[in-house]
Amino acid sequence: MISLAEVQAFCTAANAASTPQTLMHAVQEITARMGFRYFALVHHIDLLAPDGTGIRLVHYPHEWVEAFEEGRLYASDPIHRASQTTNVGFAWSKVATMITLNARDRAVLAAARIAGLGNGFTIPAHIPGETNGSCSFAMGEGDDMDDAQLPLVQLVGSFAFEAARKIAHAAASPIPAVPQLTERQIECVALVARGKTDWEIARILGVGAETVTQHLKDARDRYGVTKRTMLAIRALFDGAISFADILRR
Amino acid sequence: MVVTGNGIEQALGDRVFRSMFEERKRVFVDLLGWDIPTLAGRYEIDQFDDDEAVYIVITDDSGEHCGSARLLRTDRPHILDTIFPHLCEDGPPAGPAVREITRFCLARRLRARDRLVTRNRLISALVRHALHHGITAYTGVAEWAWFQQILAFGWVCVPLGLPSISDPHSLSAMRIDISPETPRLLRQSGTFEPIHLMDLDRAAA
Repeated sequence: MISLAEVQAFCTAANAASTPQTLMHAVQEITARMGFRYFALVHHIDLLAPDGTGIRLVHYPHEWVEAFEEGRLYASDPIHRASQTTNVGFAWSKVATMITLNARDRAVLAAARIAGLGNGFTIPAHIPGETNGSCSFAMGEGDDMDDAQLPLVQLVGSFAFEAARKIAHAAASPIPAVPQLTERQIECVALVARGKTDWEIARILGVGAETVTQHLKDARDRYGVTKRTMLAIRALFDGAISFADILRR
Repeated sequence: MVVTGNGIEQALGDRVFRSMFEERKRVFVDLLGWDIPTLAGRYEIDQFDDDEAVYIVITDDSGEHCGSARLLRTDRPHILDTIFPHLCEDGPPAGPAVREITRFCLARRLRARDRLVTRNRLISALVRHALHHGITAYTGVAEWAWFQQILAFGWVCVPLGLPSISDPHSLSAMRIDISPETPRLLRQSGTFEPIHLMDLDRAAA
């Protein structure tokens, strides 16, 4: 059982870490202190795909890492999917109560057990405007997880993810400014996201259909996309429009 | 624009702060359902809105309130030591160089993009205020989802107690360390927004 003071010391150390290696060591050390054997600190994106700013600090059994990457489980992994449904940490044994598991999910979970992973605890990391990620700690097969210290594990997971994010940000080129849309463009994009056609948007806003078409063309140009679906998704991702704009009004 | 107000009396005499108290009522009472007092059913004002409270307000070009926070001294009664002392394992950090951030509020009328910009301006203004006034740490309480976002602003945070893992709405306490390095950290995380400070005394003069 670790203490809050140890967690605080970890937060300070993680925060001061300027390279993935230093952070990796700090996380490795506290993982063992918390009684876990493995951890994975990842963005839920395909890390084999070229890009570069994704976070990936993994200490898992070899067999599992290979199976995971071969199956490209980044977004479809049941643990990752369950983590999209909550803000707080959850034990893997609860996953079946959080999402509907299909045959493939059950096969993934069984394969993880065969690779030597026991029960685990995952802390979601949802930052608006960024790819979802999570920090997971896992026991060895057959080891018992100490529920009493899970609140401490949640703190460690959050601070570890934030430290990794900081390192990834520092290595990446400065964050490009997100395109700015005009008020009118935002209104049009929000209506696109609600499934409206240009003609319908024109009726709703009381302007001509050509005007709407032009607003949406300008908005697509600002994002450098060619499809209205992509425009709506980009605007939603970076916060120009919110789910409330689409679902509530 | 950033407007700073000192004490409730000065605040109540000024339009921008009155609209802040109105917005606080819309956010904390109407939206979040907090069980806190209102004045004339219109303003959210509690026992901590006194002569020592400091208000940091972000306004738009026309001087309308967009977002605000209230700073409380920690060497006298404040929220963490009065209402939530159990959230700190070793007692709330307190002293002349520590302020508590409370009533962090963004106007409900703002669209998602403007909320984000206002939020970043408010964070940047809080850091600037701390550096100008010799404040070395802020404290605060937040629900877990908000706690994670505060952490992601890029400044240095330390947890003061344990979160509840069964209730996502339960509160956690944190300390935020402020140093001359902090603006750079905010910039690195994309949180920093250039701001223009204005003291109400000077503005009125």
